Amino acid sequence: MRGFFLTRPALPWTQPRRSKQSPMPYEWLPPQNGETHLHLWTYRSLPRRGMVWFLSITISLIALPLAALIGTMALWGLLPFLLAAIAGIWWALNRSFRDGEILEDLTLSETELTLTHHGRKGVQTWAANPHWVRIILHASSGPVPNYLTLQGGPREVELGAFLSPAERLQLRAELQDALQRHR
Amino acid sequence: MADAAIHGHEHHDERGFFTRWFMSTNHKDIGILYLFTAGVVGFISVLFTVYMRLELMNPGVQYMCLEGARFIADEAATCTPNGHLWNVMITYHGVLMMFFVVIPALFGGFGNYLMPLQIGAPDMAFPRMNNLSFWMYVAGTALGVASMLTPGGDGQLGSGVGWVLYPPLSTNEAGMSMDLAIFAVHLSGASSILGAINMITTFLNMRTPGMTLHKVPLFAWSIFVTAWLILLALPVLAGAITMLLTDRNFGTTFFDPAGGGDPILYQHILWFFGHPEVYIIVIPAFGIISQVISTFSKKPIFGYLPMVYAMVAIGVLGFVVWAHHMYTVGMSVTQQSYFMLATMVIAVPTGIKIFSWIATMWGGSIEFKTPMLWAFGFLFLFTVGGVTGIVLSQAPVDRAYHDTYYVIAHFHYVMSLGAVFGIFAGIYFWFGKMSGREYPEWAGKLHFWAMFIGANLTFFPQHFLGRQGMPRRYIDYPEAYAYWNHVSSLGAFLSFASFLFFIGIVFYSLLWGKKITQNNYWNEYADTLEWTLPCPPPEHTFEQLPKREDWDHAHGH
Repeated sequence: MRGFFLTRPALPWTQPRRSKQSPMPYEWLPPQNGETHLHLWTYRSLPRRGMVWFLSITISLIALPLAALIGTMALWGLLPFLLAAIAGIWWALNRSFRDGEILEDLTLSETELTLTHHGRKGVQTWAANPHWVRIILHASSGPVPNYLTLQGGPREVELGAFLSPAERLQLRAELQDALQRHR
Repeated sequence: MADAAIHGHEHHDERGFFTRWFMSTNHKDIGILYLFTAGVVGFISVLFTVYMRLELMNPGVQYMCLEGARFIADEAATCTPNGHLWNVMITYHGVLMMFFVVIPALFGGFGNYLMPLQIGAPDMAFPRMNNLSFWMYVAGTALGVASMLTPGGDGQLGSGVGWVLYPPLSTNEAGMSMDLAIFAVHLSGASSILGAINMITTFLNMRTPGMTLHKVPLFAWSIFVTAWLILLALPVLAGAITMLLTDRNFGTTFFDPAGGGDPILYQHILWFFGHPEVYIIVIPAFGIISQVISTFSKKPIFGYLPMVYAMVAIGVLGFVVWAHHMYTVGMSVTQQSYFMLATMVIAVPTGIKIFSWIATMWGGSIEFKTPMLWAFGFLFLFTVGGVTGIVLSQAPVDRAYHDTYYVIAHFHYVMSLGAVFGIFAGIYFWFGKMSGREYPEWAGKLHFWAMFIGANLTFFPQHFLGRQGMPRRYIDYPEAYAYWNHVSSLGAFLSFASFLFFIGIVFYSLLWGKKITQNNYWNEYADTLEWTLPCPPPEHTFEQLPKREDWDHAHGH
């Protein structure tokens, strides 16, 4: 049940202050030890705090009939169903968050570019020499417009497939700059 | 990173018929399934009402005879009244309509089809659970029909206990029919709860970026409020009917005074569910009417935020007024006063909505297309039903009106002429979008007028009957009530004829209607995201996020 209540994993979209202008769901982290990090994540419209609000109001209202039945046997007749309903929506919202917990972590240093994808299928990694890395933008021949892929490693991999086309365009420009600086 | 998938994505729909329609995970297909199934079940329920109104057309019992039910009266042969058959008819008319027709059509049908489109989501949060909800609904309906054909009370088939299943009648009803009915309601409840969980998760967590809660279209909001009401109310019903089941079969005495229980306790628990249930039925219709009125007045809805919070207020208040269905069971005056005042408060947010719809039309350029006719009808007739509700909310007045035809007139005005008009408005509004075909405008208008006149003829005289003291749920009545009963039955036949005509319109248009080429065949005030899609929309929509300009029109907010 760890993480079930209010512990927030230190992932980018759980940072407390999120601008209402909804910044691009990718973030260049300041370079450390000569390494630059880029994080990409999917958009989710419900903040964790919102889930807490929603569940609190729901639980207080659904407790009304229970309160009315205190002292009667019928309380036990009602209780399992109310608990099942609350458990259901709690699980569902968590599952929806988990479905969106895709994090792509691109690490760029002088000698290596690694891409780690944390997703439903677990962790997938890819590594290549930055000198040989090529960024390809597929305007319309990919599963989404402006599909971004990286070549130069053991296989071709996608990057930021969950972003919007405009975001991928901008990301590609920034990635080209970052690669130039590291060459 | 997932491995690159460059081979291109021209998606050919390779699903076979069985896969597409029986194992669907597509919210649009599931919405269509709900609409058609609800239509079929509604047709069955309407057949029951036509039979009932046939019986009530003249005093005396001519059709529901113990010797064998008839469809043609025969004065030569004796007809011993079969009260059980009458009770079965009213029970299943109620059960089918309340659990298996209106909510599946509005919430399951329009909700599934349109809510994800309006918020720019690619599908529901849990597509396979969506399919499960639909097939549980079908299974529940099948059980309900089976219950009607299974041995029940009075040595005949079916349970004659009323759709509310009050004990001790329901706990003592002989046979298996009652237990099957309880299971049918269990399945329908579980289907609705899972559907509600799905809708809530989708609405909260899958809105397109930038679409804050205060920018979501009103129909999508109405589905969210309804889903939330379902989540809160249906488990209580599940508890109540499970206790009925255990009282019937496992020797418990939750509702049996001999064992320390109380039948009135059941009524409290049932109506705790039952009152939100009627808001569950009507709030999606509010959402549809908002979209229709703003489109055909060529004006954005007046007061978006008050409309949203009025729906929320109606939903929340709906939970604290249940005992206005129970004024005559022996509660104290203090209890009755509380419920009376609480019920009157609900008129405030409802009034805000009605006035906002009128204000939307004020100064607009009104176009009387078929959906707008239904919306107008809804506005006027829901108000009439609402005001008779205020009359009934007065406990001393209800002392006289409880269990009379006045109550029947009230709820049929708000449900039959309210929610059902909302369903028809939605069908005509989105018909082209969902099917890609046009319906003949003259036919839609004819359907409207026949139904408007027919339904009013059916239910308005029932106010008079109630005031004159005619009780509900009776197979026969004294001679003095004959005139208005006759009028009411004629109205019922006209309404039924209009329903048959409507079925004809649907099939004609789907098979031979003119094909639609534009995405938005109304006007630019139909400005929610579904109008940016082709007619009918492709299998996969919004797999890439919609552009903000497509839905964020500054006007109105």
